[in-house]
Amino acid sequence: MSTLEISQVEKKKERKLAIIWAVTFMIVFPLLVILGLYMRLNQGKVVELDYTKFYAFMTMHGLGMAGVLFSVAFAGLWYLISTRITRLNLGVGYFVYVTVLIGFLALAYGTLIGNFAAGWYMLYPLPFKGASWATWSTQVSAVALILMGIAWLVGILHLLYALTKRYGGFFNLLGWQYLRKGTHEKLPSVVLIATVALIPGIFAFLAGAVMLIMYLLQTFEPSLAFNPLLMKNLTFFFGHMLVNVTLYCGVGWVYALMPEFTKREWKVDKVVVYSWNATFFFIVFAYLHHLYMDFAQPRSMQYIGQIFSYMSAVPATAVTMFGIIAQVYHSKMKWSIFPLMSLFGMMGWAIGGFAALVDTTIAINVGLHNTLWVPAHFHTYMLMGVVLFIFGYLFYLFSGEEGIHLKNVTGKAGFWLFVIGAYGFLLMFYLSGINGVPRRFADYQGIEAGHVKETGTHLARYAAMFIYLILLGLLVMYWSLFAKLTRRQKASA
Amino acid sequence: MSSITILMTLQNLAGVLTLAGAIIVVAVVIFVISSTSREEDKDAAKHKVYSVRTRYFFGLCLVLIVGLFISLRLLPYPRANAVADETVSIVGVQWFWKMANGERTTGPVEFVGTNEVTVPAKKNLKFVVTSADVNHSFGIYNSKGVLVTQTQAMPQYNNVLYHQFDEPGEYYVVCMEYCGQTHSYMVGKIHVQ
Repeated sequence: MSTLEISQVEKKKERKLAIIWAVTFMIVFPLLVILGLYMRLNQGKVVELDYTKFYAFMTMHGLGMAGVLFSVAFAGLWYLISTRITRLNLGVGYFVYVTVLIGFLALAYGTLIGNFAAGWYMLYPLPFKGASWATWSTQVSAVALILMGIAWLVGILHLLYALTKRYGGFFNLLGWQYLRKGTHEKLPSVVLIATVALIPGIFAFLAGAVMLIMYLLQTFEPSLAFNPLLMKNLTFFFGHMLVNVTLYCGVGWVYALMPEFTKREWKVDKVVVYSWNATFFFIVFAYLHHLYMDFAQPRSMQYIGQIFSYMSAVPATAVTMFGIIAQVYHSKMKWSIFPLMSLFGMMGWAIGGFAALVDTTIAINVGLHNTLWVPAHFHTYMLMGVVLFIFGYLFYLFSGEEGIHLKNVTGKAGFWLFVIGAYGFLLMFYLSGINGVPRRFADYQGIEAGHVKETGTHLARYAAMFIYLILLGLLVMYWSLFAKLTRRQKASA
Repeated sequence: MSSITILMTLQNLAGVLTLAGAIIVVAVVIFVISSTSREEDKDAAKHKVYSVRTRYFFGLCLVLIVGLFISLRLLPYPRANAVADETVSIVGVQWFWKMANGERTTGPVEFVGTNEVTVPAKKNLKFVVTSADVNHSFGIYNSKGVLVTQTQAMPQYNNVLYHQFDEPGEYYVVCMEYCGQTHSYMVGKIHVQ
């Protein structure tokens, strides 16, 4: 897929930006995991957090994770595209990095210092009513998110502009030339997936920006009021898309890099084009499943929510999952750490997706909505999907194109600790969900019904133990990653 | 079958289905990894995988369509011709419930209700649910800790939920939507007689 002629100096510069993103991720990610650990310990009555602090941690954990995972997923696409497909402006790349970092620090200030605690979704009008935090912390958090949104929008638009120029038209990025007769230039799969991921990303950030500007206006002019159902739709449209887009960015690298291990081309064809274009369509409407319990929402939208959520399983499994099976099946490949993490990432996506599909059934959702089943399924495809894709990519980045094929005993040991810890942690979420333990509860002491209090408390303690294992796995993987990086730096010096 | 039994079955079904799905996925991953010990021509391997894919595609579409057909008939939303034996008004307020029998005649802020309400068993009850401030969610648990039903309590909107309690006893109202500092203690009680 190397179609771009790029000098070593240019490649080094792009790599430096990718490494800066990677190291930032490696610092931020465990800190956010630790916030999650505190939450589970508090729910397990092992530590006692002030309620304001608990919900501030919850807000930072959610927004911070969504932000950092999307950032590094996007940065990974940027690196692959800029070094293999078309030149991207490094100045824009650094602008995105610095602006996102400023936004992230401001968000940390707003939540951890200012105690802004409206949850990632800051459901309207919670930030303005009965708030246990100052107006300034709402303003700082909203500005922080707008800053990050602007940075990502600039980055996405630049990337899509460069790709459009390279492939002679926007629709070519969606692979539509494959549906016409005649010859055409081959389209790398990562370009198609990046486009399908990033266009909804633009919609998402615009929806988020509109919502946040409305929030800001109300902080300055409290007499303003907006429709809560409209705001809820905007919120979930933004949040749902951001998570999906992040996942697809990671899938993009797998499409791009897996063939280097299996020695089988993973090319774009009509089926792949139809599939990813359908995905584009499905993810825009599937967000409606977040509003099933809003009975005032028009009924037709509830139907659309379930139908589109169900249908999104078709391209994801029949094309992408089968695609990776076709790559690997009887390929005599070596299971170095990148393909291992990629395959396990797909597995996490499939399991989390399956749990999501069950929950997008309205009749079942009524018994699971806002229970811990919800964080169970999205943590599955984020932690065991996206995060594994990211670590696979980090090992690729740090080891280099040759080094990644070598045995990596330490890295794999860290990987297994991480995977065991994560699935143990997730299992506690699933069991809690089935037992009706609600989500976003600082603790369960107020629930008198049946054994919900005891079940929630005990499972939270077990979950915390598994988080320690996750952190240990991370530590071992970090050890291996830095050993790879320093070895490579020495070799190139 | 009573509505609670159906719901318990559905919640358990969610767990069983997901477990079965996870086992299948893990089995496929193990099978695929173990297959790499032997090399096969890439076109032959792809051909085998894609022939399974075609069957999978049609099978999945069939399962999804049947799933939609069955599940979309079990919606919790009120039917156009629904008739209630009794109405219960519910207003969520940070951080308690205002509940009272009968139609609400005032705005949600002025409405007077208590954290406990008594309702009859085996009657079709119409819960008219709203909020006086932020989003809440009106979740009802039975004494065994099963989440029986729920609907959001949203300011400016009335969400109408029909429910029949088949078993008398104590039921617990829990706020299922994060609503601020003491959200986890926003609870109430329904006595079903």
